[in-house]
Amino acid sequence: MTTPGGPSTVLHRPGTVGEAVASLTAEVEAGRDVRLLAGGTDLVPALRAGGRGPAAIVALRRVLELRVRGASADALTVGAGVTYADLAGWSLAPGLAAASRVVGSVQIRNCGTVGGALGSANPRGDLLTFLAAAEAEILLASARGARTTDVDGFLRDGPEPGELVTAVRVARPSGPQTYLKIGGRQAAFPALVSCALLVDRVRERVCCAVSGVATGPWRVAAAERLAGDEVDWSTGTAPLALARRFGELAAGGLRAAPPLPEDPRHPADYRVHAAGVLAARAFARCLAGVRRGDPA
Amino acid sequence: MSAGPAGPVDGAEGDDTEGDDGWEPLQYHLNVDGTRRVVSGARLEESLLTVLRERLGVTSVKDACEQGRCGACSVLLDDRLVTACTVLAADAVDARVLTVAGLGASGPAARIQAAFLAHGAVQCGFCTPGLVVAVTDLLGRRPAAGEQEIREALAGNICRCTGYGRILAAVRDVQAGRAPGGSGAPGGSGANRTNGVGGA
Repeated sequence: MTTPGGPSTVLHRPGTVGEAVASLTAEVEAGRDVRLLAGGTDLVPALRAGGRGPAAIVALRRVLELRVRGASADALTVGAGVTYADLAGWSLAPGLAAASRVVGSVQIRNCGTVGGALGSANPRGDLLTFLAAAEAEILLASARGARTTDVDGFLRDGPEPGELVTAVRVARPSGPQTYLKIGGRQAAFPALVSCALLVDRVRERVCCAVSGVATGPWRVAAAERLAGDEVDWSTGTAPLALARRFGELAAGGLRAAPPLPEDPRHPADYRVHAAGVLAARAFARCLAGVRRGDPA
Repeated sequence: MSAGPAGPVDGAEGDDTEGDDGWEPLQYHLNVDGTRRVVSGARLEESLLTVLRERLGVTSVKDACEQGRCGACSVLLDDRLVTACTVLAADAVDARVLTVAGLGASGPAARIQAAFLAHGAVQCGFCTPGLVVAVTDLLGRRPAAGEQEIREALAGNICRCTGYGRILAAVRDVQAGRAPGGSGAPGGSGANRTNGVGGA
């Protein structure tokens, strides 16, 4: 399974999930530091910058079964190897598409994957913000079998040793969804602050997560409760004034969340304020008939 | 062995010498611009950018940010636009790598290059190879892309000289069939400055 002799890095290039799990398991059992390589957009620059690399890399580019996405009656399943470019035009998943369209540049969207976003777990990750709002399930495989966890649990605990993310699963949309982000040179930099909002007309609720303020994607529970109580669920609409209150409650909740380290260029007050603005704007677009470009 | 978890890279062999921190130099093949190239003495951690420039001497692929943000190292990997600095070279052994040199001396890439010259869309030239690859990719997928789509598609390629206006004008000319065909451009480096931003 490994290159004979020498401490140099070993590259595994599996063709199936089973082979990937076998390679991963062998490295873990041998006590070696092993990394999964998906689109490479985070790991390859880190290998260059970091001096000594991991003892082993399992490259997943050729595992075609991870590149599958599908829809059932009530859920959308997206393989870990599906790229942002693959998702950007997916009409069944407007929120996933919106979040994917604004990741990086064409070059990055052609490489970066769903599994890679989860593996890197950047606290400001665009896709993670959406998956947190969507209450996504994370599907994992290991030599012990398959298991499913929720996105919060995954972000808190990470994968177990020898585990591979195989897919994420979200409910089929039952209302408008959007994803908004701000940051310098939006095209190629991670978001400074971002907001994902999903309207669930079946369960009569709004789900909203914000990144860039707390230590990870943060659900704005008080604002969500307000929306659940006051949106007119017979029409799925709300007055613009409710959007402002939604934003204020979102910002208020974020002030109490465990903060990301202070950044002198973007103080916490600014990021909290920006998050409130984004939450109100997302709400207005999804529920108050405000379109992109309208003053809001 | 297509499913090969064995060996660092398919067919790879260690060189005789070891690196000073115990790393084992690798040898493998890459398909670059239609030619099978032998890479030797490489470290497994090396990016496609590093291998292209430092092992294979392909210096049209520029090295700037090494974080996938500037686009100067843009190449096509199995017909997809990528930044070479975010691709692990040893994982690209079964892929087709196309740099600006491999896009052809005639056809769309040549017309794009001629239009860049005609518009003065080249100043220091550092971003140009990557931009030509990106524009070739864009016009191959979306030949009638509008201005906003062009701007968005090229957002991953940073140019610090031109302000992008001349680049955009060059792309619009290629779309309109106004760009000179083949190699070379009228006016050469003494580009027609009146065709810059808002011109033509």
